[in-house]
Amino acid sequence: MTRFRTIDLLVTVLIGAAFGVAFLGYGQLYTLIGPLTAAFKPAEGLLAGIWFLPAVLAALIVRKPGAALLAEMIAATLEMLLGGQWGWGTAVSGVLQGGGVELAFLLTRYRRFTLPVAVLGGVLSAALEWVWERFAYYPEMSWPFAIAMLGCFVVSGAFLCGVLGWAAARSLVATGAVDSLAAGRDQVRTAEA
Amino acid sequence: MTSTRQGGQSLHLRGLTWHPHTRREPTIAGLDLDIAPGQRVLLTGASGSGKSTVLRALAGLLDEESGTAQGLPMPPRRPGERGLLLQNPAHALVAATLARDAAFGPENAALPREQIHDRAESALQEAGIDLDRSRAPLAVSGGQQQRIALAGSLALGPDLLLLDEPTSMLDADTAEQVRTAILAAAEGRTLVIAEHRIEPWLPHLDRLVVLGPQARILADGDPAEVLREHPDLLVGAGVLAETDATLRTERPPGPVIASLHGVTVPERGIRRPLDLEVRAGQLTVLTGPSGAGKTTALRTLLGPRRRLRGTVRRPARERIATVPQNPEHSFLARTVREELLASAWADDEALADELLERAGLADLARAHPYRLSGGEQRRVAIAAALAQGPDLLVLDEPTVGLDAGRRRAVLDLLREAAGKGCAVLVASHDPELIAAAENRLELPVPERTEEPLPHRRRIPADALNPLTLCLIGILAAIGSFAVHTWQGGLLAALPIALLGPLAVRSLRGGALRLTPILLSAAGLAWTTALLGEAPALSGPAWLLGLKEAARITVFVAPGVLALGSVDATSLGDALGGRLRLPARPVAASVVALVRVAHLGRQWEIITRTRIQRGLGSPASPKLLAGATLALLVDTLRGAEQQALAMDARGFATATTRTWAEPSRFGRADVLGALLGVGLLVWPAVAELLMR
Repeated sequence: MTRFRTIDLLVTVLIGAAFGVAFLGYGQLYTLIGPLTAAFKPAEGLLAGIWFLPAVLAALIVRKPGAALLAEMIAATLEMLLGGQWGWGTAVSGVLQGGGVELAFLLTRYRRFTLPVAVLGGVLSAALEWVWERFAYYPEMSWPFAIAMLGCFVVSGAFLCGVLGWAAARSLVATGAVDSLAAGRDQVRTAEA
Repeated sequence: MTSTRQGGQSLHLRGLTWHPHTRREPTIAGLDLDIAPGQRVLLTGASGSGKSTVLRALAGLLDEESGTAQGLPMPPRRPGERGLLLQNPAHALVAATLARDAAFGPENAALPREQIHDRAESALQEAGIDLDRSRAPLAVSGGQQQRIALAGSLALGPDLLLLDEPTSMLDADTAEQVRTAILAAAEGRTLVIAEHRIEPWLPHLDRLVVLGPQARILADGDPAEVLREHPDLLVGAGVLAETDATLRTERPPGPVIASLHGVTVPERGIRRPLDLEVRAGQLTVLTGPSGAGKTTALRTLLGPRRRLRGTVRRPARERIATVPQNPEHSFLARTVREELLASAWADDEALADELLERAGLADLARAHPYRLSGGEQRRVAIAAALAQGPDLLVLDEPTVGLDAGRRRAVLDLLREAAGKGCAVLVASHDPELIAAAENRLELPVPERTEEPLPHRRRIPADALNPLTLCLIGILAAIGSFAVHTWQGGLLAALPIALLGPLAVRSLRGGALRLTPILLSAAGLAWTTALLGEAPALSGPAWLLGLKEAARITVFVAPGVLALGSVDATSLGDALGGRLRLPARPVAASVVALVRVAHLGRQWEIITRTRIQRGLGSPASPKLLAGATLALLVDTLRGAEQQALAMDARGFATATTRTWAEPSRFGRADVLGALLGVGLLVWPAVAELLMR
């Protein structure tokens, strides 16, 4: 079923908006690894996966084509309207990060919403985002460091986006807040089987 | 089915059955109900009897993807034929201004622009709203919000009004005003209300229907007759309170645990000095109409506040326990028992088990807190607070939205806590709770001071269409890739410094937007100098860093500055009305983006509540993870209600809709586009000049 009901649309865009708000609070996380990143910038990639969370959560909960991309685009648009420092670069990141997750679920033809697919989505997003950042933000970075950054991105995408996003989706299903959505109905079917 | 303009619409349910996929049992099992045109019907019954679901069925909004239905009524024949109002008006609000909010339904119905404005304005007047039409609906009081929601329904000229506990979150006076507005609007329309506080509605009704489990009709008829013949039924359903003369037990006052003396917080509307003593062993109630500052007074008592006059005494942080208005804002654990022990200051397992028993939660010890009913969640939150063994227990509106039986259970818990020597402080407008308190402080009616509308200085960028502003930023970003030397980069940045003031509203706003750019440019310079191909931190490495800093500034700054004068609503008008992108996703995105300030307030409440509960510091990943989940739960539960409210205003079928405001292109936009082209080529020119 690919039609977006009003609730599907709203949940998708509100996941994007809620993360846009929560991200403002996450800024504090960067202070935790501040000393590390000052000396070795690529380490900042270790937190990159967090930014793809709206995409993976929307995909896992709404389970419709385009949900991941739309949620991530809303989070990106919000960041841009609020004055985020990367300007239109944020829009490109939004498309690539949402698109990476979207691609993973597209490869399963939107039939599988499991941990491995979520991890693949995180990895694809991380890889695409790295290509963009390498091109737009760090063209002068030497290759060894750029490869190290790719490693940080991919690890982060797999864990912070894939594993954490999958766990968050499961927690959300457990609360009953998504009972009227695809993820919630699926949980009931498994419980009854 | 017949419908007459004067008399409203008739409705017939025959054997309505509704079985949600997520429930074992149907929530409605074979309901027959006939409502005559113009009739005023009140549906009542205990929480969980299915009142709200019956309303949704009548509205034609039961979603057949999430359950199996039989005997559904005919769907509405036009958008907004049946208006629906929900318990929490914030869920019905969709736009950045009152005018646009009232226009949402007519836009969905694809009406021409002049008609949209006429309908919206007369609906706002019919609902009795005298606020400035450019105010933000989510920033006004609850009573005004419910009337704005009413206007949203009226704008589509409904034949039928369906109301789901429309006043349960309001204080008595405000509720009366909203009721008057609703009854006036219901003139000539059919009216169906689901409500468990029935008394105030009784004089205005034709018919009272009492529902039992699975929406089975227990009594149906003239309100006075039903009341006379079935009082037991109404008490049993928690609709009428048991009469109890010995509600208050006078206890000798204990020592003062916390106090406010001569406190004023002018910026929050508390101008008259406030004195309050909260004593051990007593139930103290802080009351007063909406907007009188109850929440502000509580927060002042709980934690430090800047610009405060007077003296505040409070116990140490770990000796204070708080219960937020929405219990889910503080939940963390996966079982009720773990929830009681989640705080760092609650480590007494024996006490936790005793509290589970006392709160009647022993059977639910292994249940998921988020899955409980509203009344159970309140009791879990109170038990979890008491598990800290606090000297002071502070609660914000702990009985709001509960039926009589559940209100009573909460009150019993609070009196027991006081009986054991805890000082209990409650902010509430619940008459029962106020009557049961030993100690009361009534905050005065606030002077009606409308906050002045924020003044927006007009700037040249305002003359441009949002799409033009986007184009300028995008073209400039593409142009920046021509920067290859630090000299060229600095020259390329020159027009930004010259043109920037055209897009900056105030010095402070400009600084807020530019500082992050300059910081990240500096960070990039440092990274390039350190990790580039040249030897780390050598002279050439720093020059390369300077080039990168200039390039990134040229890349991002025009976009960031131009976006400063774009707001979500005008962007939506441009994307939907001008570019003709798919209407529903664009409109839904605008709905989400205008809620950002509201979401930010929720995030603030959630994190503050959790810090007060001793669940961690603002930077702890665990606290942030829990807070994110709570924000998502709150948002997604809200989304379900919002979807209903929007579909009742015709959004479900709005694949082609109109937009209340035009998205104009003018002469200024030609200039703007030329400017964008200029910024696209200028960095390449600058490089040539510097060669």
